[in-house]
Amino acid sequence: MAQNNNPENKKNQQETFVIETFQLTKRFPLVLANDKVDINVRRGEIHCLLGENGAGKTTLAECLYGFYKPEEGEIHFNGECCNLSSPNDAIHLGIGMVHQHFVLVEPLSVIENIVMGTDHKGFLLDFAATEKKLESLCELYDVKINLHAKIWQLSVGEQQWVEILKALYTGVQLLILDEPTAVLTPPEADRLFSVLQRMKSEGLSIIFITHRLKEVMQVSDRVTVLQKGKKIATVNTKDVTTEELAYMMVGRKVVFSVHKDEVKRGDSILQINELVAKSDMGLEALHGINLILHQGEILSIAGVAGNGQKELFEVLVGVRKALAGDITLEDKKITNNSPRMIANKGISHIPDDRIGAGLIADFSVEENLILGLEENPPYRKGLFLDKKYIRKFADESITQFDIITPSMKQRTSYLSGGNLQKVILARELRQSLKVLIANQPSRGLDVGVIEYVHKQLLEMRRHGVGILLFSEDLDEIFTLSDRIAVMFKGKILKIYDAQEADLESIGLLMAGIVDKET
Amino acid sequence: MNPFGKINFEKREDVSPIGRTLAIVIALIAAMLVSAILIKLANASPLDAFVNLIKGAFGNKRAVLETLTKSTPLILTGLATVIAFRGKIWSIGQEGQFFLGAMGGYWAYRIFAGLPAAALIPIIMLAAFLTGAMGGMVAGLLKAYFNVDVIISTVMGNYIIDYFLSFMLSGVGPWREAGSYYQQTAPIAANAYYPILFANARLHMGFLIAIACSMIVYLILNHTPFGYQLRAYGSNPRAAKFKGININKIIIVTMFISGGLAGLAGTGELFGVQYRLRPDLSPGYGYTGIIVAMVAGLNPIGVIPAAILFGALINGSAQMRIATGVPTALTSAIQAIVLLSLLSAQVLTRFRVRRVEHAE
Repeated sequence: MAQNNNPENKKNQQETFVIETFQLTKRFPLVLANDKVDINVRRGEIHCLLGENGAGKTTLAECLYGFYKPEEGEIHFNGECCNLSSPNDAIHLGIGMVHQHFVLVEPLSVIENIVMGTDHKGFLLDFAATEKKLESLCELYDVKINLHAKIWQLSVGEQQWVEILKALYTGVQLLILDEPTAVLTPPEADRLFSVLQRMKSEGLSIIFITHRLKEVMQVSDRVTVLQKGKKIATVNTKDVTTEELAYMMVGRKVVFSVHKDEVKRGDSILQINELVAKSDMGLEALHGINLILHQGEILSIAGVAGNGQKELFEVLVGVRKALAGDITLEDKKITNNSPRMIANKGISHIPDDRIGAGLIADFSVEENLILGLEENPPYRKGLFLDKKYIRKFADESITQFDIITPSMKQRTSYLSGGNLQKVILARELRQSLKVLIANQPSRGLDVGVIEYVHKQLLEMRRHGVGILLFSEDLDEIFTLSDRIAVMFKGKILKIYDAQEADLESIGLLMAGIVDKET
Repeated sequence: MNPFGKINFEKREDVSPIGRTLAIVIALIAAMLVSAILIKLANASPLDAFVNLIKGAFGNKRAVLETLTKSTPLILTGLATVIAFRGKIWSIGQEGQFFLGAMGGYWAYRIFAGLPAAALIPIIMLAAFLTGAMGGMVAGLLKAYFNVDVIISTVMGNYIIDYFLSFMLSGVGPWREAGSYYQQTAPIAANAYYPILFANARLHMGFLIAIACSMIVYLILNHTPFGYQLRAYGSNPRAAKFKGININKIIIVTMFISGGLAGLAGTGELFGVQYRLRPDLSPGYGYTGIIVAMVAGLNPIGVIPAAILFGALINGSAQMRIATGVPTALTSAIQAIVLLSLLSAQVLTRFRVRRVEHAE
């Protein structure tokens, strides 16, 4: 490693960086999100910010974008100290950012969104001029998108292009991308990377936030690793290995795979037959899904977000109506049963949106541990909740699942993401269950907790539970699955045995490209 | 740059009980100061006014008992609000359900008037609870099955009930006292009076019922699966749905109980205090109940002191007017000021103020 420390940087006055921070510190109540961070980004480089969730990557980027104001430290743009008090200041300087959550108006077209979303002078909007400028931008960076399409007609990946165009349109020198690949298929991600290279060659600087090591190696010139708000190092990408980066990121050696026992696949337990359902928009989102889940098997649903996974999950859980087709649990139809009936028959679920759909943030940990069980006998005695039993159950759950909380009376919203997930796991897995439907069970969690979640899922599998795993993380799918079903536009395109599956063909299928392999 | 740095408001994670109590005290003082301005504008001495207000409310045993009498319906309408608002079901129907309860009680009284008190009064109370509850349940059903906003349906319901009562008491109405010039029923017979708790005071059994109800609401909210589900629905309806809580049932049952509690308030006023059904049976107890519940922080036990505070304001204002000439209408203004101060205090305690200095 040639230069992984900062003191020399200051002396090297010849080089002016596009953006540079000195001892940048950002605090939130109870959290030190960025602790004296020094980073610098060269002109025409792709600079990765790598770190686990909660390492402070997004906070740092939001400081650079003027969204947060750091408590201490300075930000220099093109060598000059600048005071960014809002994103507008940043945009005026030439800093653009694409967030994880897009801010686009669905019924409007791409052009309209870009005109509305950017600072414009004068009273009237000049669509023709905007269109011309956008066309030339698309040509320059080789971006292919229909400028007249309405946002709701675009895939999530395409919507991201709109956000990127929006940033480019304001004339950026520095573009910050926050986890841009989270919503992309592998081919789409490759496409993004090639456009980023193009931008780089045009002299743009790019800060690329990610927690995926592979991407860092693939795309970046230099990488800055953050861990718990502190900068660990900035290194040239070509000088390090994936293992070294992982070590810097987590602070310990990471085992990249968990041990998976041979488990004999049992009888079929859950059958989904020609299932049809609509999305919230009223469009048909599931066009006849067929799946059979067996005991002791992990069947994964691979696919890019927005291809019907949400609807399928919700129908299985019972919160969305199936319009046709049926779901059978051990020869008994459970189609359109209420969520409570489905749960009581032994189907547990882990929702992707922990705080939104899995927990009551205002409730104590203890209360959340019985959510959904409150009417069932050991937790209820006569008319009343059996507080004594509930306390005992909570106590055991906290110990068994290693939930870190000062007390079971603690308000749940104060727990970290990993501990929130453990509360859900404890609640769902301590029941006698036959089927587990897990939706993105490790999304947004630290490596350590992910490992824990994976172990729990494999443990359930060993006990004969059938697990339907929705995941956008192909690594996770390959680590855990016995079979992999690829979902695209409301259909299951193909089901692979895990041994026969390969990343490339699944990636292509996820993008809807069917006839590639022979 | 601003040489003083910048003042930041940061969200505070938890408020200590001392901080909360302090906030209430400061809010009450602030409310008094603001009210003092109004009293001054009414050409009276604020100090005099407050002294008389307090004397009128707590000056002697009789005053205290009368304050408790005034607080009785407020406890019940406050509880009606608490149970609905804990589920974020924004019912404003307590005023209407108050009258429904009074009407239901009166209707039962007319049918069963011959029975002895020990049988008659429970029947009246049951009828009052059920009619109030039906009123609440209609709003609940409309919300559950047609997604009609509860605020709209309950406010509209209040008007319907109000006019229905007017009709019943009108010249062509069946309940009008024969030959009376006023819109009112004939007086209630003494065997239907709520028992009085102390000689020579108006405090009646309804007060004990109200206290018991606050215990029951506390138990429901904190110790039953239903209360758990109601709070879960109030905090996060989406998670409640995913975890299989029957949301329609929650809304309907909650509005049933809420309406029933308000109905008990109405019948208590009729058979405990006024002994005649008139359109002015409530000077707005239903709406004041909402304020009481907010001041109590939606805590069913906290409703008792909050209701007594507002009962004292109502009761003390009479003496304040007699001694200083301040119009009673000012009481409503003072009530509103107290509410706003307490609500502001509740919000403010959730923040801490921090000065940020710049390193430059």
